[in-house]
Amino acid sequence: MGIAVEAEDLRRTYRSRTGWARARRTEVDAVRGISFSIERGELFGLLGPNGAGKTTTIKMLNTLLIPTSGRARVCGYDVVADTREVRRRIGYVFGGDRGLYDRLSGLDNLRYFAELYGVPPREQKRRIGELLDLVRLTGRERERVEGYSRGMRQRLHIARGLLHRPEVLFLDEPSIGVDPVAARELRGAVADLAAAGTTVLLTTHYMAEADELCDRIAVIADGAIQALGTPAELRARAAGRVGTREPTLEDAYVAIVQPS
Amino acid sequence: MSGLRLLTVGGVIAYRALFNWTTPGMFVGTLLVGPLFQLLFFAYLGRQLQVADDRFYIVGNAVLAASLACVFGGTMAVGNERRYGTLGHVLLSPRSRTAIFLGRAVPYAGNGLLIAVTTLTGGALLLGLRVPPGALPGLALALAVGSLSCACFGLALGAVGLRLRDIWVVSNVSVAVLLLFTGVNVPAAALPGWMAAAGRFLPITHAAEAARVLAAGRGIGAALPAIGREVAVGAAYAVLAAALLTVFEAESRRRASLDTL
Amino acid sequence: MIAVGALLHAKHLSRSPLEIAISLVVPVVQATLAVYLLRSGGAGDRLLDAAVGAGMMGVWSSVLFGSGAAIQNQRWQGTLEMIMLAPRRPALVLVPITLATALTGTYAILATLLWGRLLYGIRLDFAHPVAFAVVAPACILSLGLFGLLLAATFVLLRNANALANTLEYPVWLVSGMLVPITVLPGWTGPLAAALPTTWAARALREATGGGPVWPSAALCVGIGLTCAVLGAFALTYVERRARASATLALA
Repeated sequence: MGIAVEAEDLRRTYRSRTGWARARRTEVDAVRGISFSIERGELFGLLGPNGAGKTTTIKMLNTLLIPTSGRARVCGYDVVADTREVRRRIGYVFGGDRGLYDRLSGLDNLRYFAELYGVPPREQKRRIGELLDLVRLTGRERERVEGYSRGMRQRLHIARGLLHRPEVLFLDEPSIGVDPVAARELRGAVADLAAAGTTVLLTTHYMAEADELCDRIAVIADGAIQALGTPAELRARAAGRVGTREPTLEDAYVAIVQPS
Repeated sequence: MSGLRLLTVGGVIAYRALFNWTTPGMFVGTLLVGPLFQLLFFAYLGRQLQVADDRFYIVGNAVLAASLACVFGGTMAVGNERRYGTLGHVLLSPRSRTAIFLGRAVPYAGNGLLIAVTTLTGGALLLGLRVPPGALPGLALALAVGSLSCACFGLALGAVGLRLRDIWVVSNVSVAVLLLFTGVNVPAAALPGWMAAAGRFLPITHAAEAARVLAAGRGIGAALPAIGREVAVGAAYAVLAAALLTVFEAESRRRASLDTL
Repeated sequence: MIAVGALLHAKHLSRSPLEIAISLVVPVVQATLAVYLLRSGGAGDRLLDAAVGAGMMGVWSSVLFGSGAAIQNQRWQGTLEMIMLAPRRPALVLVPITLATALTGTYAILATLLWGRLLYGIRLDFAHPVAFAVVAPACILSLGLFGLLLAATFVLLRNANALANTLEYPVWLVSGMLVPITVLPGWTGPLAAALPTTWAARALREATGGGPVWPSAALCVGIGLTCAVLGAFALTYVERRARASATLALA
């Protein structure tokens, strides 16, 4: 098996200055020492309230941010020193409808990023075709993205993240604003990827989604991991707090982030 | 080989993705007709005040016509990543930043060349300027070099735009500054020393000089030194753009200073 | 209501660095250009004309881009439909915007005059200082009213910006903003006579250099008011048409 993603005591502080003449510095500790590791092929969930540090954690792992302290490795490569090797092996998908070139067609968006992500020219056409099939955009690929619905944009995001067959995929709230049917299909696609050996790090606000998909889940709040375990282990923590019924992951989550 | 592909194919797709003015109305209105009116404005002003002859104004403004597309285009080529929220995805690429971003300057330079040629043709026809046919290849070269160096200048502005909120201010002011400092509309000799000196470090100045020499029928040999200087200015801005992008990216990873989402 | 609206919009525009740059920096650059052109053309005694003329060029740019952008920006912000929904005549809603663009254009004149005084020691000896003080605001407001007609046409256009970008130089040229251009082809004469910018430039030039200021000023205001009436009618028509063809929200 082996380790795909490894974080050791990751910390990240944002400094911002306000004012010109008398600059006031404010520091925000977004992530305060997070450690975990993800096995190859594992589907790992990162749950937590807004502003808990999920996106910051992902951005440190995918090389867009340098940790203030601590270390992280992806596929054995250091995210600070070996950025190029890390970037060859990761895909990044985030929710929301930004992050695409609106005036290009879906196909052209994929062609451009295939170029950027180093997909060999000879493979590009076949790979893009496969992915369009996978995310069911075949037939719509020549339309401009500005006319796409939210779900279509989201699927295009996913296709882009998969272009270069990444070993590790970061999914940052991929199901945000996606309708229930599309969300279910999305879950199916993610599960298939994991089954095929892709390591997935998923953040989401939908507990059922996390429960269904994830092998293990870390709950973070205030920049630190509050709980880590399989969905069943986490659910077990909430046993006895919800009366006689079987506790759900949501019960466990609420118990963790909002201890009474 | 694959670097070349990134430079060309990537550059063209990025042009279509990020250039706001590709609609026919915008292109013709802003980029083709606009500069022609600008040329006429200064040519008539020059006639009225008897500052310089038509050739001075027609050739100079034709070279300058490229600057609009190149400066604003270069700004859009980098700055618009912010508008679409795609910067993070581009920065995740393991490939050379220089190839990704310099490739983007090429289509704008081509665009600028097209505009410069159209403006020159239009201006010459409307005002009745005769250009010796033998000068045409040299003129094309001067216009192309001017456009390319201007596109690199725009790219450097675009890089600044990654950090600056109001980059349009900078590009608008830059276009105005080019109008004044490049000696296109006021003969450099009539400008105060420091303006003329500043102009020598801006794109267009040397290309306009070369184009005038050529249009006067003095042969490519007489124009080559100025063309060489224009190439040097353009190369300097290309290096500056690459350096800024590298610095900003490195800094952003440390201080989260770019909108990478 | 119009005054309050205009001031509010002017305030809004004054907070945009882009607007400030366009109405301050660019006219100053144009004025510098004009000074060196006039000097090397042996007309160094008409530098005050250059300062005032470059300022007027700035007013025109401000009105032109302002009216074009007013519509476009409201569209992008999704507020155009909101504005049209207001229980007022559309002209009353748009007039403050275009007047505001003219008002911010005033910065241009102030900037170029100040710049000319400080950097080039241009003496501000107006032939009719009182007339200048009255005529300048009147002409600027008339250009603002002309802006209403522009805005009304721009509502219909998807690419209002493209037209605006095209119209900057020709109007400067034809209306002789910097210096009256006598070497233009004859057919531009009637065109120039119909533009309020021509009369505004002429009135201001007469106020600085001497001449009968009031006829030109009156013509400028008259044309401005006519444009306002035409613009109001056009807007009412445009609004109805846009509602029928659903082009109001088009972005």
